[in-house]
Amino acid sequence: MNIHSESIGQVTILRVGADRIDAAVAIQFKDTFRDLVADATGPVILDLEQVSFLDSSGLGAVVAARKILGDAGELELCSLSPAVDKVMKLTRMNTVFPIHGSLDAALNSHGVAPAA
Amino acid sequence: MNLVKLATPDPLDGPSDPKIGWQSQIALSATPQEVSRCLVGLCQDLLQLGLSIENLFSLELVLAEILNNIVEHAYSDASNGTIQIQVSVHDMAIWCVVQDTGKAMPNAQLPKQPRYDPQDMAVQDLPEGGFGWTLIRDLTHDLKYVRKGNFNKCSFRIDLEAQTV
Repeated sequence: MNIHSESIGQVTILRVGADRIDAAVAIQFKDTFRDLVADATGPVILDLEQVSFLDSSGLGAVVAARKILGDAGELELCSLSPAVDKVMKLTRMNTVFPIHGSLDAALNSHGVAPAA
Repeated sequence: MNLVKLATPDPLDGPSDPKIGWQSQIALSATPQEVSRCLVGLCQDLLQLGLSIENLFSLELVLAEILNNIVEHAYSDASNGTIQIQVSVHDMAIWCVVQDTGKAMPNAQLPKQPRYDPQDMAVQDLPEGGFGWTLIRDLTHDLKYVRKGNFNKCSFRIDLEAQTV
């Protein structure tokens, strides 16, 4: 799965380059995430702007990703499509992950200026 | 995919008789990749009928959960399972029947899954699965399952909002 990684200061930004995180790609998502955050020390922002569909397998993979970061880790989500937002709310996972309307808002919340 | 268009909605019928007669029969191989492909195609067809994105999202999510459940559980021991889906749109609802010839549901009934309250859970205790049937129950009406001979048959309805048709 294509996930683009970028670091600004301590913050790691992961942009998911796929329309769907579903049962067909859930394991790839988890494995790619694990590789990309191996050296991350600060908060990780998962940018879901391109993702229009998330099913329970995909959600399970996002939860697994959160666990990869350990108890002290931070995984925040941004730019949720209406469908992804609905799944987060129906499963109450919106109470587990900090969710930001945009990547800029997520970065601002960490006092990081968005890249130009 | 075999599409059978029964009738084209006539806008001149006006909002007092909001019916679309449309149905589709789909057969797919029981793999996660085929499930994704099937859902994308089905939703594109239904979007062209004028159904709202919100309704289609509910349908796509419910079907994804049911179909992937069949792939993972009913056909867990089989490499060449097939799934049949009938979808029809009429009387202000999307009606679906999903059939497979895999293993029966445990106790021949739909599983009851707990509703999680993840807010109070430690990170490492957060559930990574088990959301499926709760989502399906939340988003459907008349959810039914029967085991008939070698077949599993699951059916449900998703109501359309009045303004969308």
